[in-house]
Amino acid sequence: MAEHVILFTGPMGAGKTTAIQSLSEIDVVLTEGVNTDRETADKATTTVALDYGEIDLGDTDKVRLYGIPGQRRFEFMWRILKQRAKGMVLLVNNDAHDPISAMLEYLDEFAELYEKGGVIIGISRSDVSGTPTLDQYAAALDAARPGMLAPVMTVDPRDGAHMRMALMTLIANIEMRAMFGSMQHAQEPA
Amino acid sequence: MTDETPAHKNPVVVAFATTMLAAMRDESRSLQFAVLLTDDGFEVAHHSATLDATATADGKLASMSSSIQALSEAVTRELKISAPNEYIVLATDKGQVIQQRIPGHTLVLAALFSNDENLGLALSVLRRHADQAANFLTAQGVK
Repeated sequence: MAEHVILFTGPMGAGKTTAIQSLSEIDVVLTEGVNTDRETADKATTTVALDYGEIDLGDTDKVRLYGIPGQRRFEFMWRILKQRAKGMVLLVNNDAHDPISAMLEYLDEFAELYEKGGVIIGISRSDVSGTPTLDQYAAALDAARPGMLAPVMTVDPRDGAHMRMALMTLIANIEMRAMFGSMQHAQEPA
Repeated sequence: MTDETPAHKNPVVVAFATTMLAAMRDESRSLQFAVLLTDDGFEVAHHSATLDATATADGKLASMSSSIQALSEAVTRELKISAPNEYIVLATDKGQVIQQRIPGHTLVLAALFSNDENLGLALSVLRRHADQAANFLTAQGVK
């Protein structure tokens, strides 16, 4: 059975825990603390260590889903969690202050996950704020990281089918890049 | 009446915590570092007897203690052994970190003791001060 370890990253309030809960086929391991920073995200609790869930894709693939705490003060957890991950679902809430900068910041922070596997960018809460548009995200991505193959799509973390489609897109992206990588390797002169 | 100001932004709580942590050190000379933190990893106050500034900078130990608290509670929940007065011990040949929740509140007290202190005594110091903090916070109407 092939195993994929996928990290859900992004700022506080982007919907990482909700997305993992929507996707997971096991009871999600949650590490929630009471949120005292209601100015950044108006929610009762926040992840302070990690979220963990699992999903089987067909009979052959198991996906382990890890969520990070979004706040930079938990950066030590980011370093631990990104060691095993082979791909990233970067969630950015469209109603955040400067979500495009947030996207670029997390892409920089977790750049090695793109190199190791692949990245998909999910824009959440686009029903709350219609801008920036997907085109604006794609243009910013292209300007900051030319040539990066990272799909950008709107997502609803509450919707399991929606998140499953995003996850499948990421896995397909990881597998395609791995296949092209090994083909390129085979064509290199010895 | 409940005071909704987060503990780390409440000057009355910060002043109380600063005094309490210094009193802990007076009680136990093997205490090297102690911090009171919010559930979500903000430092309310710390007292450092021996750790250098780098180790305690930016409230990093408060964030780490918050993660450890939540992870440990996830384990005890999973194993169905969680209980109100649980505490966490990280022991090495060079010292021991002990932490526990402030009973009835969303705060955690964590302390590093050298191995000169017997674990039972260190634990009793921590518990006594956690109870003292609980009484103060309740009287102040702080969660």
